Amino acid sequence: MTERSTAPANDGAQLAVLSHRLEAIVRRMANTLARSGRSGVLNTARDFSCCILTADGEVLTTGQSLPIHVMGGPDLQAEALREFFPVMRRGDAFLHNSPYHGNTHAADHAIMVPVVDRDGVHRFTVVAKAHQADCGNSVPTTYMASARDVYEEGALVFPVVRVQQDYADLDDILRMCEMRIRVPEQWRGDYLAIMGSARIGERALLELGEEVGWDVLDGFSRDWLDYSERRMEVTIRALPAGSTTKSTVHDPFPGVPDGVPIQATVTVLPEEGMIEVDLRDNPDCVPSGLNLSQATSRAAAFIGLFNSIDHTIPHNQGSFRRVRVLLRENCVVGIPRHPVSCSVATTNLSNRVGNLVQRAMAELGAGLGMAEVGTGMSPAEAVVSGIDRRAGATAFVNQIFTGTNGGAAGPHTDGWLTMDDLGSGGTLLLDSVEIDELKQPIVIHERRLAVDTEGAGHRRGAPGTIVEYGPIGGPIEAIYANDGSINPMAGARGGRAGAPSRQQKRTRDGSLVALDICGPEVIEVGERLVARTSGGGGYGDPATREPELVLADVREGWISERRAREVYLVQIRDGRIDQDATGQLRSAKEMWRNRG
Amino acid sequence: MASDPQAHSQAHPLRLSVDIGGTFTDLVVEEGGLLRLFKAPTVPSDPVQGILDVIGVAAAAEGVGAGDFLARVASLAHATTRGLNAVLTGTAARTALLVTSGHPDVLLLREGGRRDPYDFTVPYPEPYVPRRLTLELPGRILSTGEELEPLDLAAVEAACDRLLELDVEAVAVCLLWATVNPAHELAVGEVLARRLGGIPFSLSHALNPSLREYRRASSTAIDASLKPLMSDYVAALTGRLREAGLAGRILMVTSMGGVVEVEDAAAAPIVTLNSGPSMAPVAGRAYAAADTGSDAVIIADAGGTTFDVTLVRRGEIPSTRTAWVGEEGTGHLTGLPSIDVKSAGAGGGSIAWVDSGGLLHVGPQSAGSQPGPACYGRGGTAATVTDAALVLGYLDAEHFSSGRMRLDVEAARRAIEHDVAVPLGLGLVEAASAVLDLTTEQMVHAIEEITLQQGIDPSAAVLVGGGGAAGLNAAAVAGRLGSPSLVMPAVGAALAAAGALMSDYTAVYSSTIPALTSAFDAERVNAGLAELLARGRAFAERMGGGAASIGLYAEARYPQQIWELEIPLRGERFAGADDVAGFVADFHDVHEEILGIRDDGSPVEVVSWGARVRVPLERAEGVLSARLESGTVATSRTAYVRGAGMVEVPVRPLSSLTPGLAERGPILIESPFTTIVVADASSVEIAPSGSLVITPAARTAGATPLPDLEESLR
Repeated sequence: MTERSTAPANDGAQLAVLSHRLEAIVRRMANTLARSGRSGVLNTARDFSCCILTADGEVLTTGQSLPIHVMGGPDLQAEALREFFPVMRRGDAFLHNSPYHGNTHAADHAIMVPVVDRDGVHRFTVVAKAHQADCGNSVPTTYMASARDVYEEGALVFPVVRVQQDYADLDDILRMCEMRIRVPEQWRGDYLAIMGSARIGERALLELGEEVGWDVLDGFSRDWLDYSERRMEVTIRALPAGSTTKSTVHDPFPGVPDGVPIQATVTVLPEEGMIEVDLRDNPDCVPSGLNLSQATSRAAAFIGLFNSIDHTIPHNQGSFRRVRVLLRENCVVGIPRHPVSCSVATTNLSNRVGNLVQRAMAELGAGLGMAEVGTGMSPAEAVVSGIDRRAGATAFVNQIFTGTNGGAAGPHTDGWLTMDDLGSGGTLLLDSVEIDELKQPIVIHERRLAVDTEGAGHRRGAPGTIVEYGPIGGPIEAIYANDGSINPMAGARGGRAGAPSRQQKRTRDGSLVALDICGPEVIEVGERLVARTSGGGGYGDPATREPELVLADVREGWISERRAREVYLVQIRDGRIDQDATGQLRSAKEMWRNRG
Repeated sequence: MASDPQAHSQAHPLRLSVDIGGTFTDLVVEEGGLLRLFKAPTVPSDPVQGILDVIGVAAAAEGVGAGDFLARVASLAHATTRGLNAVLTGTAARTALLVTSGHPDVLLLREGGRRDPYDFTVPYPEPYVPRRLTLELPGRILSTGEELEPLDLAAVEAACDRLLELDVEAVAVCLLWATVNPAHELAVGEVLARRLGGIPFSLSHALNPSLREYRRASSTAIDASLKPLMSDYVAALTGRLREAGLAGRILMVTSMGGVVEVEDAAAAPIVTLNSGPSMAPVAGRAYAAADTGSDAVIIADAGGTTFDVTLVRRGEIPSTRTAWVGEEGTGHLTGLPSIDVKSAGAGGGSIAWVDSGGLLHVGPQSAGSQPGPACYGRGGTAATVTDAALVLGYLDAEHFSSGRMRLDVEAARRAIEHDVAVPLGLGLVEAASAVLDLTTEQMVHAIEEITLQQGIDPSAAVLVGGGGAAGLNAAAVAGRLGSPSLVMPAVGAALAAAGALMSDYTAVYSSTIPALTSAFDAERVNAGLAELLARGRAFAERMGGGAASIGLYAEARYPQQIWELEIPLRGERFAGADDVAGFVADFHDVHEEILGIRDDGSPVEVVSWGARVRVPLERAEGVLSARLESGTVATSRTAYVRGAGMVEVPVRPLSSLTPGLAERGPILIESPFTTIVVADASSVEIAPSGSLVITPAARTAGATPLPDLEESLR
């Protein structure tokens, strides 16, 4: 745009100051959302994001938002907004949750507000997006794995629908939501919180524009994206050239009895300063909620990549310019076409794709990439529903976050224990047992890390968690969509896989029976759900892990002495490292390797 | 008694405040409303010796012996970072944790979360109590208080055997739902008292009766781990001060910005954990009120490596329940209310650098005091904020730190040129100015973060600057925030120590009685409030205070929300529906003030009720003013003024300003502990309290009003 090109250039000092100002605005938006939201998924787990886009729809500032929300979708959402509403008016706000128009999945309700200055010029767009406790699906879950298409899924889909005009609600739209979304008061409260967040972002940007001048802000946007691109380019030019293809299989699911085999090819082109991720050679869309939306396909690839390199590079459209993500229409990890269901698009296959990319990066050079992060939404993260009879009889539905998947090991650190998945980047909060027991008529009998479930390595993955809970006063229904029970999370550069996940029911006589990988599961009074989440993969050969670190893991009860000996080749005797025996174990292995 | 009988007859009782810092132990002596400051080196191996030393310095200045001096002292207030350091360095007592069976990882799992989703260089944090010292006890209470499974007393006895075997020095007990029904924790406490031969322990329901087991367990574990250390320290402190002749009260500063008797601090040492930064706002509140009449205040305390921001809202210092020891997210939550402090690593030693994409950064690396900024000439070569200030002429190279140090201007120029100017393609002065601008921005950022959390409009609040490094940016920060005025109290670097002389005895009691306004059980709530009042009055009585004030409040939220807001109660009980409606209206207002939205149709859920007790200490009336040494004469030096470049700017010693006579910037004001830079046409005036009051030249254009934004969000 000509207007842009004439804007004054910023030096590195002005750029730094203005980038801080924009970060502060995103933080302000996030603070409002977190603290005023009603549903547990929003205020307890913090499953939301806020970002600022340029008027052209480029992602400019994302703060510490959920990666899966902001890494590859908001620009697509802005494109849809421009297509349907070519003239931006001050006071408008739009509800957008359509996975066919750039949104992640239908349960993420995004409010988009164009920031229009007093002369009527569209300057920025702010987006606040939050996962809903319910989105009107045909069954009480926001992750409907068994949906053969969007009709069976049943979600209310809003492909950029105006919900405010002149800063006033268009009540007809909101009434529709209230007729269809379970726990409508809770939804209405969350809607207020999301709208409040977007409006606070809008107001702050208008103030900033008035203060520093709109041409200065335009110049900033251009220069900030260029700066981010430059950082990315410098980083890529220093990487080793190469191309790797990695593959994996999502566990069997409703509609996909053999699971979903997928692969990713990552090519680093240092001389061009580009990285390419090719996801085209993968199966067509499946009759299941597993299909990725275009937003989550791109975001997953970006996340795996950005996890593998210098984390201080800004995550915006500037650095994204240096990455080509190749997608195919009607592909399970590509671009879905209506009416394919994308109900579970933010978690299961997203996590698999991101993991493939970071594992591929690990193979391209020492000190790069990561192993695989634990996967799936186990019963420890189920959407639970039923009737709360502790005081009267009230219907409830909420997603609980009682236990997380283990994080992946990388070149620098062991896996992050409460990582959960790549899409969240580990930022989601874990529920307090007391809060969960207060909000739902359940008792959480156990929650502890699962010994010996880590992916062993020079840096080890984080173990899974065991969670056991059951209802009080009446049955509950738990809907979940796990993964990693059959195909565990791989290690990288000689690291081992994490232990698979597991879902079971403890019956009234105390015995354990295996459950299906997907709910719904009705749990009667006296019965309990038992989940073991998946462990993260290890990085590097476990036989090279420092014996003192292995000893620390044994002393703290993360791994058994036996595992220390058999997997890490460290002999522990009376709480100390037996140096001689450890030396023998490790040199024997070295000899084997040299022979082999 | 004093050697000069005449002086003695005129003398007021003295009140002392001691602040033990890393390098110096500061003593502030108040006599008849006037403050004097004394310093002596801290003795790390024996901090009480440092206190006795500085008292000796003060006594010598009076020309009396320490014993005679101490005999005149009515009270000595004391803030210590001893507990905090022990927690940060992992040198507190070897502590065990007893938890409900099935939940051994309450301290390990914490509340989940991670700060930077793409940063995999930070290791997962260690639990405050290791797993090997965590023992599980069978027995379970439900959220309703019902017992699902009885406590297994045999298992408690066995746990005691194990604790003795493990050689622990303290024990924390945190059982699920002990706040609703403490029977199991009390039973465990009885066994521990009988079996452990005096090993101290803390019970979660008694220490911190609040929801969320991680926070409660964290409070309890930290508290227990500090008991051995703090009771030894308090015994030594009181013993040696009494022996030296002190007859007055010995008080300790709390994280809540109040003081308690030392014995109470030893019984629950966690209450003093964050005592360091909690006093600056007490002083800031007093000076802002005296100098400007404002009850909305932002206090920025800037040292060499830290920048602490605290607030005053409607005359009250807001507290938080999410206070961290160590880094936010990877440190430990104290779980108890504490004065809300936001710390940023933006001190004078912060290093300025330019990254591979050409972007300027200030920090997070710091040159600290060793090697320190390049201009210190101690081997540091990296460009720091202090170097930038020197290049701009804001610091006096010959008389830095009251003449204790000479600064190397050439070294500062070289560093800024090499690290900042060349990579950015800017001139030397422009580059140095950019470093200060970015530092200002980072300080503003820290301030906005806390004002946002607490719902304060920074452009309507007075900014108070304290600490040795405050003067460089304070005026610029005030300009950026649009503050109506900036106050630099004369006590400056000793703002916190002065605050301890203005504080009250405080205590907080709370009680978990859930209530919903649409089905309000007034009888139950009133009974709870009556009990809180009784506990508050008992505290007030014990402190011997007549004029005690007890503020009742509710921690409340909209149903299904998870973060509570503190709502002051209008009365002592709910007499009828009108009182409940009034409370609901108050909640809507506070929610809107802090979070920008309100939901008028919704009932309000109260999670717990609290009483905040304040018993004023006897003290001199009015604000405390500092006694300043009369300064040197007015001079001038070349310094940077935006828009004018390097020009000759007048330099005035603080003590040479005439009260009531305003000066106009650009001007540099030298005080014994800092240089206050006023690099634009702001006006500068000295207040009767001795504070310097600066009115920014051009307050930033105010908010662009949007048509009925709040209205539309309802």
